[in-house]
Amino acid sequence: MQSLYFAIMVLALLALVFGAILGFAAIRFKVDGDPIVDQIDNLLPQTQCGQCGHPGCRPYAEAIANGEAINHCPPGGESTIKALADLLDVEAIPLDAEHGTEAVRTIAYIREDECIGCTKCIQACPVDAILGAAKQMHTVIVDECTGCDLCVEPCPVDCIDMLPIEVTPASWHWQPPTDIIATSNHAHHAAPQGDVSHG
Amino acid sequence: MGRVWPFHGGVHPPENKLQSNQSAIVPMPVPKQLVLPLNQHIGAPAKCLIEVGTKVLKGQLIASAQGFVSANLHAPSSGIITAIEERTLPHPSALMDLCIVIDTDGQDQWVDHAGIDPLSVHKGKLLQCIRSAGITGMGGAGFPSAVKLQAKSKINTLIINAAECEPYITADDRLIREYSEQIIAGIQIIRQLLDQPACIIGIEDNKAEAIAILSQALTGIDGIAVAVIPTKYPSGGEKQLIQILTGQQVPHGGIPADLGLVCHNVGTAKAIADAVLLGQPLISRVTTVTGKAAAKAGNYQVLIGTQVSDLMAFAEVDLAATSRLVMGGPMMGFTLTDHQVSVVKSTNCILASSELELAPVADHHACIRCGQCEVVCPAELLPQQLFWFAKAEEFDKAQSHNLADCIECGACAWVCPSQIPLVQYYRFAKGRVKTLHAETQLAEHARLRFETREQRLIDEKLAKEEKRKARAVAAAAAQAAKRAANPDAEDPIAAALARVNQQKQAAATSFTAEPPEDAYKALKTAAAITRTKLKKSSKALTDALASGHEQVESLQTTVDQLTLKADAAKAALSAYETKLGLDPEHEKQLQVTAAKAGAVVRKLEKSLATAEDAAAIEAQIVIAKTAHATANQALETYQHKSTALQQQTQES
Ligand code: SF4
Ligand code: SF4
Ligand code: SF4
Ligand code: SF4
Repeated sequence: MQSLYFAIMVLALLALVFGAILGFAAIRFKVDGDPIVDQIDNLLPQTQCGQCGHPGCRPYAEAIANGEAINHCPPGGESTIKALADLLDVEAIPLDAEHGTEAVRTIAYIREDECIGCTKCIQACPVDAILGAAKQMHTVIVDECTGCDLCVEPCPVDCIDMLPIEVTPASWHWQPPTDIIATSNHAHHAAPQGDVSHG
Repeated sequence: MGRVWPFHGGVHPPENKLQSNQSAIVPMPVPKQLVLPLNQHIGAPAKCLIEVGTKVLKGQLIASAQGFVSANLHAPSSGIITAIEERTLPHPSALMDLCIVIDTDGQDQWVDHAGIDPLSVHKGKLLQCIRSAGITGMGGAGFPSAVKLQAKSKINTLIINAAECEPYITADDRLIREYSEQIIAGIQIIRQLLDQPACIIGIEDNKAEAIAILSQALTGIDGIAVAVIPTKYPSGGEKQLIQILTGQQVPHGGIPADLGLVCHNVGTAKAIADAVLLGQPLISRVTTVTGKAAAKAGNYQVLIGTQVSDLMAFAEVDLAATSRLVMGGPMMGFTLTDHQVSVVKSTNCILASSELELAPVADHHACIRCGQCEVVCPAELLPQQLFWFAKAEEFDKAQSHNLADCIECGACAWVCPSQIPLVQYYRFAKGRVKTLHAETQLAEHARLRFETREQRLIDEKLAKEEKRKARAVAAAAAQAAKRAANPDAEDPIAAALARVNQQKQAAATSFTAEPPEDAYKALKTAAAITRTKLKKSSKALTDALASGHEQVESLQTTVDQLTLKADAAKAALSAYETKLGLDPEHEKQLQVTAAKAGAVVRKLEKSLATAEDAAAIEAQIVIAKTAHATANQALETYQHKSTALQQQTQES
């Protein structure tokens, strides 16, 4: 009988010790936030345009984590959908046209002499990319603008243009060669063949 | 002669060097116009120092380096700056960028310049001299040389690249044959700067004459050795040459300086000697013009900024016979679509190839996985794997297969039996990787800003709430205190009501008029706003109509209402204008009359200068002047009147 009590006591003690360790670990190694939401958020383009129907990219990331479709983000387009599909191990599906279509990236420009200084665009800008004060001319900090388009609608005098980003010699890069798989029988080159020869 | 190690892969394309290396370097006469791009080097573009119309002398500084990795730019000949504008760049993109245009005067007059004795000055001065001469790597990449000479770690071996492995190009070959003394002087200056490291000159064994001349010139000089290496493309790649001459491999993502090595081109050594010993900045270079279409194939001493079209004319290139014009060599160069581009500091070759030499754009076939590309890749990569990844746009896989290590030598594309333009795929993939990286950084930045803003909005809201609460508490306390101090005061609510009434009355009597200027502006803005609203709703209506939306009716009413509103705003605006006596139409008319009268006066005065019948014209001028004065007066009176009216409105 005594040995039975002893066994129960030992087990109870063990349970207490492990419980304490687990409890401690749960607090000490607590994961801040939801890691999957962070991972999804990292793949979204952070344009913060709301075209997905959420007030920003992070809310959409949360919605995806809760099962919303991954094809609602037009600025991200196909590449984002592909990355999300890889991450979540689901099928990549084409962009849902209801939320918009993939377009070239643009940047907002304010026609400054027409600006009446109403500050409405500042309030709309999700990344604080507009500089100005009441009754003063406003301007867009080009390097900060994500091209979300949200400032265009509120402008009462319609003086904001969304213009595509210009290609400079520094930002230019090669495009893949147009892929022609033809059956013409060119003799194998006898002379050196420049890599760009196939342009 | 030093020992040499082999390197992996490589190819043996036909050398085609004899066409251009048989004759001496010919100096090309100063062309009529020089066009100098501000960014001819790796790094930040130079900052323009002169204005249009400035007269410049040969060798004068016209644009200065901006930042550490950048290079100065000098006028290659004397003349006048006629434009600073966008011109097509000698770049595969054929994009435009800022260039300085000099119309030369043919005098070729030097600015004051003098060399220094390298042995009598300290290193800082020497480095400064090389930096201010605007010298960049002459081998092709165009990296500012002074930056490479300022290595932080100890340099044990200086490697001079004279391999010139690319077919057709013979600029370095001829340079060594004709300027070996200067090249050696330049090498000695570099060695002095780097604390006398050992120096190896790597040269391919197909340049027998150059080797002989160099060895001859080096007799009696310690510390500089010539290493003759087997001819194989691309032995002149920096990493490959290092492997051949030292047996060491530059680590992934590392630079030669990590191994205590630094590599310079022979042309750079010559440019350094000219800069230090003669005080001459980098304003010209040796460029090979070759190919079947060039009647006078050879090497030319060309001023930087010379148009390729001028150089081709001088070398008697037959444009009709040129199937492709390539800047650089046949393996790594790029096709020029525009001949109005400049020879820049890194232009070592212009190849005017006939159809027989470089095959026209060929159709390519599917990869047959033959593995030949892998055999020849000097960077020991898996080119066909990289090609699949680049084509499928799987850039992270391409990166993990060391895409960044590809030196774009073109050996793989050269052997590929399917004639796949492999290098173009790699260049595309590299470009995309770069943009994607930049985009990720931008996205990260945007997210931070978004989160900061959200936090700020929340904080602001909380702060407001706090303040409101604090105010309420303070007010209650004040009330309590007051009541305690003066218990039989009248009812506070009644008092407050009385106060409000008083204020209302005061407001009613003193009509607070907005200043008319502001009121006018406000009306104008209101009109603009209603106009925009109307525009937006109309657009929504058309969209709705187009898509057969059910909200059409309500939208229609909105548009109608807005039309009314916009009309009202417009009417209010014009009413206000009439009230103030501001009739924009009338004012405009008056202005036009005044301007017309003024124009008549000026015209007459002009004809007076040339006319013989001076008296008659003078009389006419008097009449016209009076007309002008009357018109001006009318305008002024009008303006006075309207200002007075505005003031009146304000006072009332
Ligand atoms: S649609 Fe706009 S807000 Fe939504 S995830 Fe994409 S970029 Fe972010
Ligand atoms: S400036 Fe306009 S387009 Fe650009 S981020 Fe702000 S709201 Fe979006
Ligand atoms: S181009 Fe790149 S992949 Fe092709 S052989 Fe040269 S280094 Fe290798
Ligand atoms: S050489 Fe061409 S065909 Fe052969 S494996 Fe390489 S890419 Fe494919």
